[in-house]
Amino acid sequence: MAMFSPAIFITTAGFFHNSAVHVALAIGGSAAVVSAIVGVFTVLRAQSFAGHALADISSAGGSAALLFGLPPLVGFLAMAMLAAGGMEVVGARQIRERDLVSGVVLGAGLGLTALFLYLDISMTTASNAANMVMFGSMFTIAPETMIPALWVAVLALVMCVLLYRPLLLIAIDPDLATIRGLNVRLIGLLYLLTLSIAVALSAMTIGAILSTALLIGPAAAAIRWSCRPGPAIIIASVIAISATWGGIFLAYDSFYWTRNHGWPVSFFIVTIIFLAYLASGRTTALARLRRAITA
Amino acid sequence: MILWRKQAGVAALVLMLFFATARCGMASGLIDAVGIENQYANIIHQIGGNFVSVTAIITNPNTDPHTFEVSPKIVSKITSASLIVENGLGYDAWANKIIEAAPSRRRRIVNVQHLLGFPNSAPNPHFWYDPKAIPVVAKAIAHDLATLDPAHAAYFDERWHRFDDSLQAWTAAITSFKTRYPDTPVAVTEPVADYMLQALGTIIETPFTLQLAIMNGTDPSPQDIAAENALLREHKVKAFVYNRQVMTPLTESFLNTAKKNGVPVVAVYETMPTPGYDFQSWMLAEIHALTKAVAMGTSTESLLPASAPPPTGRLF
Repeated sequence: MAMFSPAIFITTAGFFHNSAVHVALAIGGSAAVVSAIVGVFTVLRAQSFAGHALADISSAGGSAALLFGLPPLVGFLAMAMLAAGGMEVVGARQIRERDLVSGVVLGAGLGLTALFLYLDISMTTASNAANMVMFGSMFTIAPETMIPALWVAVLALVMCVLLYRPLLLIAIDPDLATIRGLNVRLIGLLYLLTLSIAVALSAMTIGAILSTALLIGPAAAAIRWSCRPGPAIIIASVIAISATWGGIFLAYDSFYWTRNHGWPVSFFIVTIIFLAYLASGRTTALARLRRAITA
Repeated sequence: MILWRKQAGVAALVLMLFFATARCGMASGLIDAVGIENQYANIIHQIGGNFVSVTAIITNPNTDPHTFEVSPKIVSKITSASLIVENGLGYDAWANKIIEAAPSRRRRIVNVQHLLGFPNSAPNPHFWYDPKAIPVVAKAIAHDLATLDPAHAAYFDERWHRFDDSLQAWTAAITSFKTRYPDTPVAVTEPVADYMLQALGTIIETPFTLQLAIMNGTDPSPQDIAAENALLREHKVKAFVYNRQVMTPLTESFLNTAKKNGVPVVAVYETMPTPGYDFQSWMLAEIHALTKAVAMGTSTESLLPASAPPPTGRLF
């Protein structure tokens, strides 16, 4: 990215020695890679809205975790997986119906979030709960969360490798996949669970509301750039990682141009992703990608 | 901030006021008084004695008063009071809106911010920790009580003098700390006790931008986080003074870092801890706790007995 000019680097002394930055780089980086890879499948399967719904619903888990004194990752993850399971049980195959179900469940989920955030704020000392759950607070993530978060990310990556071929085939032609003996429904569920992990990781870092940006943005931009799934996944990962680390870096640097206040990391990350999407041009590569896989 | 949500709530409650009857007065011959924060209510009680019925609105020592949620019952309590003491400076802005929505000519209001002449741009609203502020507040309360109930003016005046004299123990403790432990460096989480820490002559090493971020629940900068951690790890401070009513994962990690590195910790409260304290004994207890930390390295994580809820203030 063009933001990494040497002049800016010089002003950010201490960047690589800051423990809050270390944790943010590690957890943010893993959330970015997992979200980017899962995101490519999400865009191919036309499940962007389901991804967004899972992310929003996971905020109920994040806010409940604060109430019960659990690690936020556990809350986000549990709620996202619960919602993913629910979506699978409903099992609507038509996209329009699927969006309706997602929307209704999303509303109910956010209602729970409203309740838990109210309880957080009025009954516990966690007065920054709303900001933390909805928009993320990367530099305040507890360092102890780092190792579990990395393991969860590794699990998601392994799932991606195992599901790679079947998911692509189902994305192109579910009927053909069924004929070839694939359990479409089981694979769909495994995919939703992997999506839950991606969503939980990014909700914990850039917030439940913004995590869609990390899931859909890099994937959408990458698919415009490359018409083959392999390269698209790599490009999406590079965009997501650059946006996340670049955002952390800019947030760190903003300390020096906002009279020691600093701007939120989430803002920078989402903005970079948006710019990458704008830069990715107007090619309708999504259709070409689908053609390329079947060829 | 979650201001928008609170404003919506207040707007709804203000609407309800149109249907409520505003009952200002002295139903039972007592002055109906409200202290929005329980420390102010306590001072009203000490001065008003038998002729005042006082209600404290913000009383829970296990939550953050900045994020207080209003209920309809509280609205009617406030609008029917004839003396209201509010802090001001946005700390209890909701109370101000309720008061403005139900005007009453008889009602007396003590707005501590305006009383002390602080501009709206002042950064620290925790005036009750300021030893210079409380005598002024007490005097205003005594004056308003006498205006509302002139027949007992002498009674209020006598009790106000007694309260004012009792504050000497507080100022004496401050002077004694200041002379025995001059320029003591301390770290804090947010500005709750800053006025008193300044009066005690301590040097607050924590960046003020970090204190503001924690108080307002916004994203703190990693530079400030690193600075605070360095203060604790490198023993650059004699005590870690934290607001136990605002505990986030970040402040908890500071607390753990302090303990791990043998920096004594001192819990301070935003509202008067109950039961067992009045305003003066609370302030003395805070100074006593800081003295123990600086002199002997002893930590104080709670001013209440062990049966009280745990320090994190969690619900379960």
